[in-house]
Amino acid sequence: MKKGLLIALIFLALVPGLFAQQKISVWCWDPNFNVYAMKQAAAVYNKTKPNVTIEIVDMAQDIEAKISAGLQAGGAGLPDIALFQDFRIEQFLQDYPDAFVDLKAAGVDYSKFAAYKVGPMTVGKKVYGIPFDTGSTGLWLRTDYLKAAGLNPDSYLNKNMKWSDVIKMGVTVKAKTGKPLLSYQSDNFDMLRIVVQSTGGQFFKADGSLNLRSDAFKKSISLFKDLNDKSLLYSVVGWSDWINAINSDQSAGFLNAIWMVGSVKSRPENAGKYMIIPTPLIEGVSGAANASNNGGSSWYIFASSPNKAVAIDFLKSVWATTTEDTLAFYNNILKGAGAMGTYIPSLKGSNYTAKDEFFYKGQAVYKDFAKWMEKVPVLKYTPNYVPMRDAVAHAVLNYFQGKLKTVDDTIAAAEAEYKQVMGQ
Amino acid sequence: MAKRRTYERYLNRVGWFCVAPSMVLFCLFMLYPIMSSLYYVTRKWKGMSNTFIGLGNFVRMANDKIFQAAIGHNFIFMFIQVPVMIFLALLLAVLLNQGLRRLRGPLRLAIFLPSITSLVVVSVLFRVLLQTNGFLNNVMLDVHLITEPIGWLNDSFWAKVTIMLAMTWRWTGYNMVFFLVGLQSLDQQIFEAAEVDGASKARQFFTITVPLLVPIILFSAVTSTSGTMQLFDEPNILTWQGGPSNATMTAALYIYRQAFFINYDFGYATSMSYVVVLISGVFAFIQLRLLGGERVKK
Repeated sequence: MKKGLLIALIFLALVPGLFAQQKISVWCWDPNFNVYAMKQAAAVYNKTKPNVTIEIVDMAQDIEAKISAGLQAGGAGLPDIALFQDFRIEQFLQDYPDAFVDLKAAGVDYSKFAAYKVGPMTVGKKVYGIPFDTGSTGLWLRTDYLKAAGLNPDSYLNKNMKWSDVIKMGVTVKAKTGKPLLSYQSDNFDMLRIVVQSTGGQFFKADGSLNLRSDAFKKSISLFKDLNDKSLLYSVVGWSDWINAINSDQSAGFLNAIWMVGSVKSRPENAGKYMIIPTPLIEGVSGAANASNNGGSSWYIFASSPNKAVAIDFLKSVWATTTEDTLAFYNNILKGAGAMGTYIPSLKGSNYTAKDEFFYKGQAVYKDFAKWMEKVPVLKYTPNYVPMRDAVAHAVLNYFQGKLKTVDDTIAAAEAEYKQVMGQ
Repeated sequence: MAKRRTYERYLNRVGWFCVAPSMVLFCLFMLYPIMSSLYYVTRKWKGMSNTFIGLGNFVRMANDKIFQAAIGHNFIFMFIQVPVMIFLALLLAVLLNQGLRRLRGPLRLAIFLPSITSLVVVSVLFRVLLQTNGFLNNVMLDVHLITEPIGWLNDSFWAKVTIMLAMTWRWTGYNMVFFLVGLQSLDQQIFEAAEVDGASKARQFFTITVPLLVPIILFSAVTSTSGTMQLFDEPNILTWQGGPSNATMTAALYIYRQAFFINYDFGYATSMSYVVVLISGVFAFIQLRLLGGERVKK
């Protein structure tokens, strides 16, 4: 009798829950990083709202092509929330002006996020996304090679260096150990982008036209040519070969973002060898900082979503509100996936300040990256970032190979290719 | 008479009923896209909006040096790689057909295997082998074949060679199988007669085997040519998005990048596809004329 009553009670308790059950779906990629972080966020949200099911789909390939097809079809087949790379979103915001939900109007306080992340998602007075991870950069150096070259790594630790000093250091390392200073992906634009962004340089003018003839850009290209001519770059083609080069001791370091922690840690032999110093500075460019960014993504809600209100509430209450639970969440995903958010109140969590024994002298790498992140100059990628990026990468490679003779020729070639591809 | 007509009509009705599903699918997924592509050609696409620009896309193409270079790369690959590959395939087929009988099975498998292997896997492996300090360069340096590493993926000339090698590696076996089948259907008496007349093996190959295999050579040439015009995977994965600096950019890859990667401009991409189809058509026509016409005369 008692048992029957209990079952009846449980059933009664479940009934309203069953009827109020709501479901939202999220598209992102990388199970160990974005999917992982979103799952943690869903768990936090479900603590207070157990009736919402959050379905997270791992779209490993062609997520942008799929989303673009869905938008063409007026929102058919799209999820409620999707992750976009920061350099991609501006094109979507321009091409599909009414497709995304304005989250500033929904009450998100953007002063609590790193300013450089909010830039790309802002159109006029509207702000569309919830900033996620940072690509705060640093110069990764192998202390064992520095020592082998007779240099003292401690003298560089946490030092804001200039590129001219880095080149001197690189020449010494190369002469003594035979290792080029940096692994470099010759088909890729990212490293150049890191340097240009650290100068505060922009690739486009406010009217949308190319801005490659700036002092910052010219100096960056000259720097790269110099690095190349002094054999300080270990050039490979393609991403996987770049990772390979790093994990097979081909260079004494590389210039890239915080999310390389995972790849470096994936090889146990790297333990104790790496230290990370602030992004070096280009001299003589006003507005330059010892900080830059590479990569990073943010969450967006589609205006076509039938569950808009729930999606907004979810992103806002977990990703953009300061409570004990949300701070713990940001702290957890840093430890669990190496995912560093850009929500400033969260940057004081225990995992952010902890020493990491995997790095040289237990460097507190997350603390350093977080510190540098706040100085990153804002970069507007603009809708035409991708064709510009490819055109510049192509021209720079031709400059390295001697097919183009001067910096000005290189810039002219990049401009020409950009115009061809854009049909201007 | 009247009865027969109703029966015919009945048969017709049943017939139409049977083919209706495939007709509906054909119209939906073939006819409609082809017809609507005619509309796309006249438009410039930008997100949700598109504007009528008449022949603007073709004007743009005439000024787009990257597209023109891409077509040029297709031609280079076609004129060098296709003849070499067909000759190789023919040679291998004859060798497998005449000698090496015992090893025929395993060899046939080994030569055919590349064409059914996932290209992504293959390209990743090739990339490892072909890096500047990769396996191939190291071996060639060790045996003093070269004095400095070759930029298989990095140099604009060698990257084209790499693409052609990869294509040959992949498709020779595929074409060889057709030639093998063709060879097995040839009448052995002709060869015996030639033998009696004192013709050498080489002579037999060029004056008997090749002419008799013309229909199959033609088939191979036409499919390989149109395949080369659509070349996409190798430059996309192996030399990384048509690199270095667009040196291996092909028409198909450029069309894809314009449509789904760079500009999302479906109008321009469709227009370029029309040009590629036209070029493929012209080549197929020429090949049919050159090889096929002669056969008809005889």
